[in-house]
Amino acid sequence: MKATMSTPLPGCMANLLAIVVAFAFFAAGVGVVRGAAAQEKPATDSAQKIEEGGKLFRARCGYCHLAGGTGTYMLGRRLGQDRALLDSRTDLTAEYIKKIVRVGINSMPPHTRIEVPDSELDLIAIYLTRPASARPSAAANRSQP
Amino acid sequence: MASALPPNVSEKTFQKALDAFSGVVGKQWVLATDEDRTTYMDIYAAGDADQHLPSAAVGPQSAEEVQAVVRIANEYKIPLWPISRGKNLGYGAAAPCMSGTVVLDLGRMKRILDVNERFGYCLIEPGVGFYDLFNYLQEHKIPLWMSVPANAWGSVAGNALERGYGYTPYGENTRNICGMEVVLPTGEFVRTGTGAMANSQCWQLFKYGYGPSWDQMFVQSNFGIVTKLGMWLMPEPEATLGLNMQLPEPDDVGWAIDVLQPLRLNGVLEQNPSIGNSIRSVASRSQRSEWYQGDGAMPDDVLRGLLKKFNLGWWGVNLRLYGYDEVNEAHAKIIQAAFAKHTKQEFEVVKWHRGDPIENSGAGVPSTSVLQAVNWRGGRGGHVGFSPVLPASSEHVLKQFHSTRKRYEEIGVDYFGSFTLFDRYVTNVNMMIYDRDNAALTARVRALFKALVTDAAKEGYSEYRTHLSYMDEVALSFDFNNHALLRLNEAVKDALDPNGILAPGKQGIWPRALRKARA
Repeated sequence: MKATMSTPLPGCMANLLAIVVAFAFFAAGVGVVRGAAAQEKPATDSAQKIEEGGKLFRARCGYCHLAGGTGTYMLGRRLGQDRALLDSRTDLTAEYIKKIVRVGINSMPPHTRIEVPDSELDLIAIYLTRPASARPSAAANRSQP
Repeated sequence: MASALPPNVSEKTFQKALDAFSGVVGKQWVLATDEDRTTYMDIYAAGDADQHLPSAAVGPQSAEEVQAVVRIANEYKIPLWPISRGKNLGYGAAAPCMSGTVVLDLGRMKRILDVNERFGYCLIEPGVGFYDLFNYLQEHKIPLWMSVPANAWGSVAGNALERGYGYTPYGENTRNICGMEVVLPTGEFVRTGTGAMANSQCWQLFKYGYGPSWDQMFVQSNFGIVTKLGMWLMPEPEATLGLNMQLPEPDDVGWAIDVLQPLRLNGVLEQNPSIGNSIRSVASRSQRSEWYQGDGAMPDDVLRGLLKKFNLGWWGVNLRLYGYDEVNEAHAKIIQAAFAKHTKQEFEVVKWHRGDPIENSGAGVPSTSVLQAVNWRGGRGGHVGFSPVLPASSEHVLKQFHSTRKRYEEIGVDYFGSFTLFDRYVTNVNMMIYDRDNAALTARVRALFKALVTDAAKEGYSEYRTHLSYMDEVALSFDFNNHALLRLNEAVKDALDPNGILAPGKQGIWPRALRKARA
C-alpha cells in the first residue's frame, strides 16, 4: 500500500514532520530533557537516565509515537487528543509500559528483547514516567520571570 | 503459548543447543521464554499463528557469530529462520514457516559499513532499518536517496531480499543489490560478485563477478544467510515534479495503465507509480464502524458516499518525475497530453527543488503511517497481502481487478487493492484487513486468500511474494514440466544444506528430510 499523496492526510503530513523532528533531536544532539535537566539540576544519574531514555524513546518508539505518528493517531482516536502523545502523558506507570511493549495492545505489535532490550526498556520507562520537574513545560514555566 | 520443538529433536537436545548458542552470543541474546517466543509470532496472523510457532530466538552480533550459530545448528539439527528486523508485515512478520524453528534474529547487526557518494551505494548489515539509513544520510549530508516501501519500519536489506519495492526510480529494491556476504548453511563464508576477490575494488560497483552470478540465489531463498549487503542508492536529483489525480470510476485503472506503461517503458516516467483504491485513504483516517456496521463487504453505495465525503476518486494516481527541471517539465507535458485523451481532469502539480524541505520531494522518506489502515476493523488489527504479478495492460489488469473484487464481495471482505506499475508488469497487492479476534472474519480471509491463489494460477499469474501459510501452495502453482523449478531448487537445497537446517519451507523449498511436511 502507498499513502495517497494527492490528498495528503493531516496524519501523513504530520508524520513526515515527526520524522524530521525525530531526526533533528539526533542531529543537533539536544532534546527537551537535556534542556530541562540543565536548568533544574536533578540528581546526575537520574537526569542522565532520563536523557538517555528520551533518546531511546525517540529512536525505538518514535516510528509511531511522535507527533503525527501512527500510534499517536490511534491513541488519539481511542483515548482523546490529550492522551495521544506518550511523551506528554503523566498517567503511565513503568510496569504498564514494559508490559505493553512486550505483549502489544490493539494494533500495536509486541517488541522483542532484541529490538528493545530490557536495559533500554528500563530507560524508556524512566523517561516516560519522569517527574513533572523534568518536563519542559514545568521548566519553561519556572524560567519565566 | 503452546510449546514447539524442532521435528525429531528432544527437549534435552534442544536445551543443549540453546546452551551452545548462549556460549556464542551470550545468554542474554538467547530468548526462549513464553513471552519471548510470543514476540516472534506472526503479529498480524489471520487465525493461523499456531501453524508457525518459533521455539526460541538467537541474536548474534556479527557474521562470525552467525557462522558459529549455524555450525551448532548443524551439530544438533536445529532449524534456523533468519530475519533482519522481523517486519515482514502481512507476510508472516518474524515467524518461521515451520513450527519449532529457532528464529535467527539479525537485528543486532546494524552497522552501516560504507556509503559512497560518488558511486551511489551503501554496504550495510541486515539489522539496518530504513530510518537508520535515512538518518545517517541526513546527518552526514550525503545527497543520496533511498527507495522506501510504504511501511518503512523494516530492514533495508530484508526488504530487498524479499523483493520489496519503493516508489522512486530506484524502486525495484532487489535490482539495487550489488554484492553480498553470505554464511552458507554449512557455516562457510562466501562473498558474491567481485567481492569474491579478496582485495576487490568493485564489490558494490559491478554485480556480476566472473562466471555465474549468485546474488539472486539468496533472494527469497533458504540457501544462505546474508550478513552484508551492497545496495545502490539514487543521486539526489536537481528537482522533482509530482502529478496527482483522482480517477472517479473503477474501470479507469485500465486506461491509466495503458497510457502509463509505454511512458514507463520508454523512460518518460522512471518511477513505479502505485494506483490504489481510495478506501485505503479512508481507512487511514477513520474506522469502518463509523460508516458501516454490516458484516459482509462494504456495499458500493456506502463506499461511493464515503469517497464523496472525503473528496476522493475510486483510485488515486500519484506520478513523480525526477531529474533536471527542464526535462521534468517536458516529460510532464507528455504525460498530461496522454491523460487528456481520456479525461477532462487536470493533474495537481507538486514541484520540489533541491534545498526545499525533503518531505515534499518524493524522496524515500520513511513513514509508518500506512499502518493506520490496520485499525479499519478495530480491535487487534491485522492484514495479509495477496500479491500477483500481471502484464501491464488494461486487458489483464481489469480482468484481475474484477475477478478479485468479485471474490472479496462473495466472501465478504472489504476490497483494498493497488496496482504498482513497473516497466513491463504490474504488482497487484490486495490487502485483507481484519480484527484478529474476529474468528468468523479471519476464517473468511483465509478462504478468500486460497480462492485468489487458485484463481490467479488458472490465469497464469504468479505471486511476487506471499505469506508463510501459502508458500507451498504458491510454489506448487509453478508447475511447468512437473514442477521442474521446485525440483531444481530442492536439488540445490540438498547440496548446500545437507542437514536441512536453514529456513525449512521458505518459498515452498523443503530439505529432503522434511519434504513430507509440505502441505
